[in-house]
Amino acid sequence: MNYPIWEVPIIGGGWLIGIVAVIHVFVSHFAVGGGLFLVLTERKAYRTNDINILNYVKKHTKFFLLLTIVFGALTGVAIWFTIGLVNPQATSALIHIFLWGWAIEWVFFFIEIAAVMIYFYTWDKIDRKTHLIVGWIYFISAWMSMVVINGILSFMLTPGAWTQTRDFLDGLINPTYFSSLAFRTLTAIVLAGIYALFTASLLKDKKVKQTIVKYSSKWVLPFMLLLPLAGLWYYLTLPEIPREIILGGITFVSNTAIVGLIAGALIFFTVLIMGFLKPNLYNTPVAVFVLLLGLASMFAGERVRESVRKPFVLVDYMYSNGLLLSEFDKIKEDGIIKNSKWSSIKEVNEQNQSEAGKEAFKLYCSSCHIINGYNDVKPLITEYDEEMLTAIINELENYQGYMPKFAGTEAEAAAIAKWLVKFNKENMKGEIK
Amino acid sequence: MIDQTMIPDIDPIALPAPIWLLKFLLLLTFTLHILAMNVAVGGGFVAAFTEYFGRKKKSQNHFELSRGIAKMLPPFTAFTITLGVAPLLFLQVLYGQFFYTSTILMAWPWLSVIVIFILAYYGYYIFSFRWEKLNGKRFWAVLISATMLATIGLIYVNNIVLMLTPDKWKAMYFANPHGTHMNFDDATLIPRYLHYIISALAVAGVVVIMWGMRKLKSDEQLGKWAIRYGAWWFLIPTFINIGVGVWWLIALPREFMLMFMGGNQLATGYFLVGLASIFVCIMLMFVGMNASKPIGKIMAAKLFFLITIVTMILMRHELREAYLKPYINWDAVQTEPQWGVIIIFALLLVGGLITVIWMLKKSFGKPAIN
Repeated sequence: MNYPIWEVPIIGGGWLIGIVAVIHVFVSHFAVGGGLFLVLTERKAYRTNDINILNYVKKHTKFFLLLTIVFGALTGVAIWFTIGLVNPQATSALIHIFLWGWAIEWVFFFIEIAAVMIYFYTWDKIDRKTHLIVGWIYFISAWMSMVVINGILSFMLTPGAWTQTRDFLDGLINPTYFSSLAFRTLTAIVLAGIYALFTASLLKDKKVKQTIVKYSSKWVLPFMLLLPLAGLWYYLTLPEIPREIILGGITFVSNTAIVGLIAGALIFFTVLIMGFLKPNLYNTPVAVFVLLLGLASMFAGERVRESVRKPFVLVDYMYSNGLLLSEFDKIKEDGIIKNSKWSSIKEVNEQNQSEAGKEAFKLYCSSCHIINGYNDVKPLITEYDEEMLTAIINELENYQGYMPKFAGTEAEAAAIAKWLVKFNKENMKGEIK
Repeated sequence: MIDQTMIPDIDPIALPAPIWLLKFLLLLTFTLHILAMNVAVGGGFVAAFTEYFGRKKKSQNHFELSRGIAKMLPPFTAFTITLGVAPLLFLQVLYGQFFYTSTILMAWPWLSVIVIFILAYYGYYIFSFRWEKLNGKRFWAVLISATMLATIGLIYVNNIVLMLTPDKWKAMYFANPHGTHMNFDDATLIPRYLHYIISALAVAGVVVIMWGMRKLKSDEQLGKWAIRYGAWWFLIPTFINIGVGVWWLIALPREFMLMFMGGNQLATGYFLVGLASIFVCIMLMFVGMNASKPIGKIMAAKLFFLITIVTMILMRHELREAYLKPYINWDAVQTEPQWGVIIIFALLLVGGLITVIWMLKKSFGKPAIN
């Protein structure tokens, strides 16, 4: 209501955030787990005095550097850009609540970037012990930035005591904080293995390749077995409504969760058979396939996590469309259009009903429903007439519990219905033709 | 009467720190960001032209320098990003209602920054890691990357100026809500942008001088050459920039221009200090570049240059405050400082700096960045 709405055709802003976010987390979790992989593998190479492993870690460091600090860092900035564009109200709220969380995360980010560059540039230039320490500094600071950001992300779904106390720590260390940190940490380690399997698959020497493949698959398999446990723990820490949604409350969410599980299982068995048992089979196409499966399960996980927040963007504080719960009564009285700073129409009347309906829809509904695009309402309303639509809009939360309560006036509900029902008429004309 | 109806309300959650602290951190981290950015962007252009002159004159000195800059570009680009995140955070918490709105108006150009940056950054890595192999293509590799980074600066300036002029927003949004606007009709935009970009060249010139000073021990001829060469890269852009600065000043709305000419004591004070220090800096640079023992004079010149940069950033801040004065009443902005977390942040920041300095010392004998 406060900010102008950026109209993103077809996919809508929500999906734009989703796409950017999934790409980012797929690299940023690697940036955490991969740090541990580097330093432990380097240590192993020293302990076993194995020059092949050492040469591999050096190569892997370059891949790691180029992927994480360029692509990883910038896609992280991209999420921030995108959420600010799509939901400035929620971004602003998070930044006000967690400014110092972000500032602390930035300190770790700074150390992380410095450490990984030094780690990369000083291979063979400083003594081994110091090089390992730099590697540890990298991993610890990378993980610490996850420790902080995980609090902000989990807060969005389970604000816990913050809703009453408005206390920084209550928000950060919220009911799903530890379970999702465990889940993310395990994911990071598994991804370290999956990416390592990819660079290992590029090695030319067959024997070395087999050794590294087998070694890297040990980074995947045991931790993948733990992931379902962490998932279960996370599930148990969730409030009732998100649990319901996952278990079938919204079909696509439970389907997405199943897709994620299948992708995970496929990763496990591919790595088990072609990585651990028969490492000579692990070639680059297989490695890319496993990476894509990793991306798919990451996508599923993030999608589920985002979807179960409905109808909120910040649970118990702000609805998906940026409306504050605390503003609800005021807006219910005067209407959405009147309260919007960026509406060209200021009231509903006889002459402008349809136009006003379009405007109210844009302000209130377009964060989730894109006409001719994602989650389009047109196919959902074909069986309703104007009167029924008006009734549904007025009681959105009863019609579909995962939608926000309608904060508009009755005149606005009627206006939206009048505008929407036009699409039905167009459809019918189309069918007759 | 200015139409204020569409400026978003201030976030209902109070600022988690005193305003002075947030503004201080904004300016401090922005200064660091600007310095890293100047090396990353200005250094790219200097490397490109150095390649070009080197090829034309068949000069080994030029190639040595090009190779030296190639090593610096990726780390400085990394720190441009890292040090850019912090001021963006403080900007959003302080000026969110202006910043988010102007960003939405130019959403697609704003998002394109990410794509351009990734490409330019990889370009720098190619220039750095494949310096030998690229040979004749080096000029193009680094020039294209630097130009892309400079384009990002242009998009940034568009947004940062647009956020200061809310009276333009409404017409823009109603003409097109798809976020494809730019802000080129603002008369201050081009001189403002050029002023930053040209100063990036001057800063890169200083970095070349520093590189030359380090070379003095191992290769005196190369070191002396680089000091003179870098000094010219400092001096010529700085002279041009004085002219561009005047252009920017004249392009400003009259009341803001007068602010720096006695209208506002603080703003005028910054301006005078900035002018005086750049004058001293130029003098020291002239003397230093021809001296047999240049180091002391050049270090002093560097100090005065830094003072100039800081005063310019303070002037920029005063200008922003003046633009936004009709739209924000700082006295009415609520704050509830979270001192506990602020102290944790401060301690971690100090600890982090110590850690980074320790790593640099252990790795390179002394801090790599002078």
